[in-house]
Amino acid sequence: MLGILDIRYDVSMTNSSLRRFLTPVLVVFAVLATACGSDSDSESSAGSGPITVYSGRDEELVQPLIDAFTASSGIEVDVRYADSAELALLIQTEGDNTPADVFISQSPGALGLLAGEDRLAPLPDDLLGLVDPGFAASDGTWVGLSGRVRVVVYNSDLVDVADLPTSVLELSGADYAGRVAVAPTNGSFQDFVTAMRSELGDEATSAWLEGLAANGAPNYPKNSAIVEAVGRGEVEMGLVNHYYNLRALEADPSVSSVNHFLPAGDVGSLVIVTGGAVLAASESGAAGEELLRYLLSVDAQTTFAAETQEYPLLDGVAAPDGLPALSGYAADTIDYDLLGDGLTGTIDLIRESGIEQ
Amino acid sequence: MKAALSSSSVRAPFGLTAAAVAIGLVFLGPLAYVVWRNVDLGTDLGSVLVDADTLRPLSQSLRLGVAVALSAAVIGTGLAWLTVRCDLPGRRVWRLLAPVPLVFPSFVGATALLAGFASGGLVQELLTPLGIHSLPDMRGFRGAWLVLTLFTYPYVYLPVAARLASLPPSLEESARLLGRSPLAVFRSVVLPQASSAIWAGTLLVFLYAISDFGAVALLGYDTLTEQIFADKLFDQPRAMGLSLVLGGVALIVVIAERSLDRRRRRIEVVRSRESLIVPLGRWRWPAVVVVGGFLGNALAGPVAVLGFWAWRGMTADTTTVGLATDMGDLVGPTLHTAEAGLITALVAIAVVLPLAWTISRYRSRVAGVANSMVVTGFALPGVVIALSLVFWAIDTPLLNRWYQTLPLLIIAYVLHFGAQATRAAQVAVDAVPRRLGDAAATLGAGRVRRFFSVEVPLMTPGLLAGAGIVMLSTMKELPATLLLAPIGFDTLATEIWSAEQRGALAQGAVASLVLVALSAVLTWVVVIRRIEHH
Repeated sequence: MLGILDIRYDVSMTNSSLRRFLTPVLVVFAVLATACGSDSDSESSAGSGPITVYSGRDEELVQPLIDAFTASSGIEVDVRYADSAELALLIQTEGDNTPADVFISQSPGALGLLAGEDRLAPLPDDLLGLVDPGFAASDGTWVGLSGRVRVVVYNSDLVDVADLPTSVLELSGADYAGRVAVAPTNGSFQDFVTAMRSELGDEATSAWLEGLAANGAPNYPKNSAIVEAVGRGEVEMGLVNHYYNLRALEADPSVSSVNHFLPAGDVGSLVIVTGGAVLAASESGAAGEELLRYLLSVDAQTTFAAETQEYPLLDGVAAPDGLPALSGYAADTIDYDLLGDGLTGTIDLIRESGIEQ
Repeated sequence: MKAALSSSSVRAPFGLTAAAVAIGLVFLGPLAYVVWRNVDLGTDLGSVLVDADTLRPLSQSLRLGVAVALSAAVIGTGLAWLTVRCDLPGRRVWRLLAPVPLVFPSFVGATALLAGFASGGLVQELLTPLGIHSLPDMRGFRGAWLVLTLFTYPYVYLPVAARLASLPPSLEESARLLGRSPLAVFRSVVLPQASSAIWAGTLLVFLYAISDFGAVALLGYDTLTEQIFADKLFDQPRAMGLSLVLGGVALIVVIAERSLDRRRRRIEVVRSRESLIVPLGRWRWPAVVVVGGFLGNALAGPVAVLGFWAWRGMTADTTTVGLATDMGDLVGPTLHTAEAGLITALVAIAVVLPLAWTISRYRSRVAGVANSMVVTGFALPGVVIALSLVFWAIDTPLLNRWYQTLPLLIIAYVLHFGAQATRAAQVAVDAVPRRLGDAAATLGAGRVRRFFSVEVPLMTPGLLAGAGIVMLSTMKELPATLLLAPIGFDTLATEIWSAEQRGALAQGAVASLVLVALSAVLTWVVVIRRIEHH
C-alpha cells in the first residue's frame, strides 16, 4: 500500500472516503494485534500447560470424553478436529515442531503412515494389553479405541434377501453387475482391500477388483454417500462400514436401507479399528498416555458403543444393541501393519483394476 | 485514448514495482512448496504426466472447467444485465439473491441437489403421483457441470454487475435512439464494455472448477483434484506431481488470458448519476420467469432441501439432541465466519490493489509475473495451501509465533483467494480515467488526496465486487480452516463438515441455512448496497 501513498500526506484532509477506507483497515490491525497478544499470553504459561490432541474423530463424540478426562485427571486438553488423513499430513509437515501430543485417527492407515516415519512414540505394554493384540500396532506405536465392521448395505425394496451374498467375493460375479456401489478412494475401502491382500494375496485381490470394475460398480466418494444412494434406491447395494446406515436410520427411520452382516470369517466382514497414538515429538507423553488409557476405560468404551454404534474394544464391554457380537469377527488374522506402508500398493492395485470411473 | 496510450508506456514508480515483487514472492509460497516437495520426494514428473491414469482425469478436469466456465459466463453476464440494466420486476430482490449461491460449500450444494433431484430423491417423490417415475441421471459429467455452474456463476455475476452499474449510459442511449432492440444493444454496446469483467469472472470459474473436490467427488466424476485427494496420504509423490500439473494449467491459462486481455481496448468510465434502464417491454415477464427459474435451482432448491432436513430433524422423535441448543451453539461459529470473511476480504483487496494498479497503468513485466503467482494460489487445493503455510511458518522465527493463530489463517485465505480480488481490482482500476487524476493534479491536489478523493470512489464498485467474492469464498473455506485456525475457532463451514461427518443431516442443514442467511446479509450490507448507493 505504501507504494501508492505519497509522503506528502495532507493532514487537513477530512475526506470521508478516506475515513471509510481506513476505518476497516484499523479495525483489522486491532483484531490482529489482539490475536497476537492472546497468543503470547498462552505461550508464557506453556510447560505445565494443556496437552494438544489432533482428533480425526468427531467433536460431538470426543469432546464429552475429553471433558470427563479433564475433570478426573486435572489435565487440560486442547483439541483440533479435522479429517484424519489431513491431520496425518499436518503432523508430517510440522515434523519435530508439531504442537500435537496425541493423534486420534478414524483409520489405522493414517496411524500406520506416521508410525512408518517414526513420528509415533511406543506405548507401554499395560496400555497395549487393554485390547486384543489384533487391535493394536505390532510395534506398539498405536492402540485401537473402537471397531467398525464392513457390511453390505442394501435397499430392502429392491433386493430380495435371498439375493444377498454370503461372501464379499461373490460380488465380483456377473449376478451383481451394476448393483454394488463402492468408494474406491475412501480410506475404509482401501483398508478393506489391504486386508484382502493380506488374506488372499495380490492376485486374487486384483481379480476381485477387476470383476467389480467389469461389473461397472458405481463409484461414490465415501460411505455416507453410498448409504444415502442406497436409501434413495439409486443403487441396490453398497460396501460400507456398519454404523453409517444406523445413523441414517436415526435421521429418517422410514428409509429402506438395511445392513447385511457377512458371516464371521469372511474377508468382507473385516473389523477396522479407530486408534490413538502419542507423538514422538511430544514433551507430555505421560499425559498423552493417560488420555489414551482413559479412552479405553469402561466408561469411555461404553460411551463409544452408545453414541457411535461402534464396537468397544475393551474386554467385558458389550457391543451396541442389535449388533452381532464382535468375537468371531476374526481381526487377529489381519496384519494391520500392512495397512500403513502397504496402502501405496493397495492404491495402485485399486487404480490398475479400473474400478475408478 | 491518447492520454491512456502515453501513460501506459511510462515505467512504474519504484515503490509500486517493489510492492509487486514483494506480493509476488509471498504468493509464490504455495507453488514453491509444491515444487520443493516434488524435488524432495523425487517425483518422476515425466512419467506422472504421460501416464494414462493422469491424462484421463486431466482431460476430464479441463473439459469440466471449460464447460462450466462457458455456462457460468453466459448466465452470470445475462443475470447481471437483466438485474442491473433492465426494468426487471423485483430486481432489487434478485440483485440481493444472485451472488448468494457462491457461499454453498460445493459438497453441501451437491448433496442437496442429489437428495432433491437424483433418482429416488425428494422431487421424484413429489412427481411420482403425477406419473413421473424417473429423472435424468445426475451423476458424472452432467451432474458436476450442473452443480458447479449453479454455484460458480456469481464469480462472473458480481464483477459484471459492478461494471454495468458504473458504465455510462450515453452509448446505449444513442444505440437505442437509433432504434436498436434491447438484445442488439446488449450485443453491440454492453458486451464489449463488460468484456474485461466477464473474462475476469470466467477465469475464476474455470480455476474453481478444475480445483473443486466436493462436487466432483460426490457426483463420481474423476478429475485431477479427485486423484490428488485419493493419493494425498499414501502416494505423496504422485499427489504432489499432480498438484504441480494443476498449478501449471492455472499458469498457462492465466498467461493466455492476460495476453488476450492486453489486446482489448480499455473503455474508461465517467460515472453518471443514473445508469440507463432498458425497458424489456413484452419480455419483462418471460425474463422474470428465466431469472426466477434459475435462482430457484441455484438457491431456492438447495435451501428447500436443507430446510426439509432441518424440519425433519426437529420433528423426528429419534433425534436425541435438541436443535434449539444447536442453534445456540452456532452463535460463536457465525461470528467467527463473519469475522474471517470480512477481514480476509479487506486484507485481500489492500494487498492486491497495488499489483492491480501497476498492471493496469504501466507495462510492467514484473507485475505480470507477480499476478500469475497470485492466480496459481486459487488453482491449488486448499489443503495444499494450508500445508505450504505450515511448511513455511513452523520453522521460521517470528512467523512460527503466529502458527495456528488468526493472522496466519488470514494469510492462508488471502493466498488462496487473492486471485479473486486481483482481477476484480484490475477491472476497477481500468474504470478510472487517467485524465481525471491528471486534472486533479493540475488543480494542485496531492497524490494521496487524489487517490482517496478521486480514484478510490471510482474504483469502489469493482473493488467491492472483488471483496464480496473473497468474503463468500472465505466463509465456506474448510481445509485450511481445519488445519490452521486457532483451536476453538469453529466456523459455520467446520460445523457443517462436522455434522456431515457424523451423519447429522439436520444439524448440518441448520448450519448451512445460517451460512446462506449470513452471506445474504453480508453481501447486502458490504457489497450490493454500496455498489448501488455509492
